[in-house]
Amino acid sequence: MQDKITQLFKAIADPTRREIFHALVITGSALSISQISNQFDISRQGITKHIKTLEDAGLIRLDNKGRERFCYANAKPLKELNTWMKFYEQFWNDSLDNLGSYLDNKPS
Amino acid sequence: MKDAITKEKVFNHPIDKVWNAISIAEEISTWFLKANFKAEKGYPYTFSSESNEKGCTTISGTIKEANPYVLVYTWIVANTEVETLVTWKLESVPEGTKLHLEHSGISNYTGDTAIEMFESFNSGWEGCINQLTNYLKKIVNAG
Repeated sequence: MQDKITQLFKAIADPTRREIFHALVITGSALSISQISNQFDISRQGITKHIKTLEDAGLIRLDNKGRERFCYANAKPLKELNTWMKFYEQFWNDSLDNLGSYLDNKPS
Repeated sequence: MKDAITKEKVFNHPIDKVWNAISIAEEISTWFLKANFKAEKGYPYTFSSESNEKGCTTISGTIKEANPYVLVYTWIVANTEVETLVTWKLESVPEGTKLHLEHSGISNYTGDTAIEMFESFNSGWEGCINQLTNYLKKIVNAG
């Protein structure tokens, strides 16, 4: 079974991949691998590798059109992760507030 | 975004009082979750809800380090088998005690588990936390 969140963290840990993803999000439409390569000072092979990692994480989808491959951004996995992280944030905030009240009300 | 949640909070209380609150079972059971806990390296602890109500999740793990004022334990949510790590560090400061909390290893959860856990937690933990809040209110009102 694939560890999706590990792949997600791996994908977003790299600044180039974040830039590629960001470029796709702000473009709001599909970009071909050639178009992406032109924007970065990296070999096409390097870009393809980054795109594969992003695809594995579910952050982009690939579509073949003729001889070109087009990439689309998909932000849904990030939302899922974010919701989950937010839950834990809240959980620890609440717990530490409880700890604070407990300490304040406990005789020394 | 990173693979850990960190919190810092200063309590206007002496370091040993805070240390006892986070490391003694009776005290943990009062403000956090009902605990079977010993601050001894290797001790397999469990946290569960006070009334064991359906929906409240059980947490278990092993104490990795327990020397004043550092407490580290693994944190495994029931039915997930995914190990995360919780680290508590205390430091004396002029205002009292500074607590540094880190919960790491969150990327160990698979996407599906994370969502499943989130859902079970969302109803479960709220119940547990409400119980604690009520308990604390009772203590305060009684005192």
